[in-house]
Amino acid sequence: MDFLSFLGLRKHDGRKVRFRDTLRSIPIFSELGRRELASVERILHKREYSAGEVIFRQDEPGLGMYIIETGRVSILTDDSHNSMTELGDGEFFGELPLLDGGSRSATAVAKTPCRIFGFFQPDLFALIERNPRLGVKIVLSLAAIIGMRLRAVNDRVQTLLTEGTPPAATARHSRPKKSEEGSRRL
Amino acid sequence: MNPARSLVLNRWLAFSGLALLILLLLLVPGVVKMIVVAFLLAYIFDPIVTAIEVRGLSRTASTVVFFLFVISIAWILISILTPVVYNQIMTLRSGAGSRQTSEVILRLQAVVRAKLGFIGLGEVNLQEKIEQFSAYLSDTIVDFILHEGLSIILYAVTVPFLVFFFLKDGREMKKMFIGIVPNRYFEFALDLLYKMDIQLGNYLRSQFTDAVAFGILATIALWLLGVKYFLFIGVFAGLANLIPYVGPIAGALPAVAVALFDAGDVTLALQIVLAFIILKLTDDMLVQPLLVAKGVHLHPLLVLLAIIIGGELFGMLGMLLAVPATGFVKVVLQESIVTLKKYRFTD
Repeated sequence: MDFLSFLGLRKHDGRKVRFRDTLRSIPIFSELGRRELASVERILHKREYSAGEVIFRQDEPGLGMYIIETGRVSILTDDSHNSMTELGDGEFFGELPLLDGGSRSATAVAKTPCRIFGFFQPDLFALIERNPRLGVKIVLSLAAIIGMRLRAVNDRVQTLLTEGTPPAATARHSRPKKSEEGSRRL
Repeated sequence: MNPARSLVLNRWLAFSGLALLILLLLLVPGVVKMIVVAFLLAYIFDPIVTAIEVRGLSRTASTVVFFLFVISIAWILISILTPVVYNQIMTLRSGAGSRQTSEVILRLQAVVRAKLGFIGLGEVNLQEKIEQFSAYLSDTIVDFILHEGLSIILYAVTVPFLVFFFLKDGREMKKMFIGIVPNRYFEFALDLLYKMDIQLGNYLRSQFTDAVAFGILATIALWLLGVKYFLFIGVFAGLANLIPYVGPIAGALPAVAVALFDAGDVTLALQIVLAFIILKLTDDMLVQPLLVAKGVHLHPLLVLLAIIIGGELFGMLGMLLAVPATGFVKVVLQESIVTLKKYRFTD
């Protein structure tokens, strides 16, 4: 508890604290301090979805990533209509458009009523403009995640080329770290 | 409350609030003008406040620093310019130079009588007519300044107040606006707003800088030529330059009128016309390509129509804001169409 909370001048908002912890658990924000996290929080867009509501569709332009505060989200592809994966509280998805602004490679649908926070490229650009130090930290973290994935893909390709092993078997060797789970290129 | 239900309730509340606000604004049109002017000014000055924010200050502190800077500049300008403005108002009211004017008018009347007497213009009393018009004009200007004082003060207080809050809380206001957009159109709206922000920001800032540059150059040129009321006419020329085609002529006319009727100097009038031609060419070939490179291209016919409609609806302010408003509508439509094509709203 900080000094203002101790004096009763600041309300201790449990949900806010929990959400800040959630933010810190996301690799992109894991290196940020308390004030920096508060700056990020200010530019997040809070959205609420009912069960079955589409969050974004495959092939539509992507503007940024989503962080699930509460609820469950299914990730589907148009051709299969089967759930590729299901994400829950504290997990995030669709972070690559933050960098390349590319289109979505899958559809995200709320499986249960969800409270989600959106972090988008225009806001990231504006943040970089007014707080370059914080912006660089976030972009470096994003670059690190992409670098990690590239290494994983390289390892897979290398294994396939040298051993001719089927991808299913090699996938286990290059499984992403726990911190990377929940993050998908959408 | 479950998230979906609270979402619907919040959205209805937000829409009702917005509808009430729009209704209120329509009922009080003066407020709309103030808000539009303040919004445009906040839009123009936003990058300066952001530049201060980059130094590590909070948004509020940056806005306060910016306002302190503007107030200091205004204070310096007021203390320097008050005597000049006072003299110019008094000269305008007393109709100084009337002796010279009378001489010019008498000469002109003699020419009219000699050359155009055969068509019945010999008996016309030019001096009386011009004096009547001149008295009406100077009285109207001075009366406007004196009697509209309350309204001017109201604008002078309210507009900066609104600009302050638009600058300080503009980001939150934008976020709140985005917050009421339904989920399906949310990313589209954000994308559209971002693109519009860039295009419109560039356009408004370049127009404003161009008007300031033209105003300063016109004031300097008129001062060098020794034209009376150079400050008023220079500021007016800068503002008028915001209106394409009509603006530069409208800006030069008062200076020419002062040269002819106040100083009675035809050479000076010609020098002023030449100065304005040079100024306009400099503006078109040097200032505009540098500043308005990223502007919105509007068809000349559309610009003229916009100016006429703006003038009909809101007078001088309407004419001034007609082109930025048309640019705004064009950007909205253009970006909406481009962005809309990328989203599958029909699915």
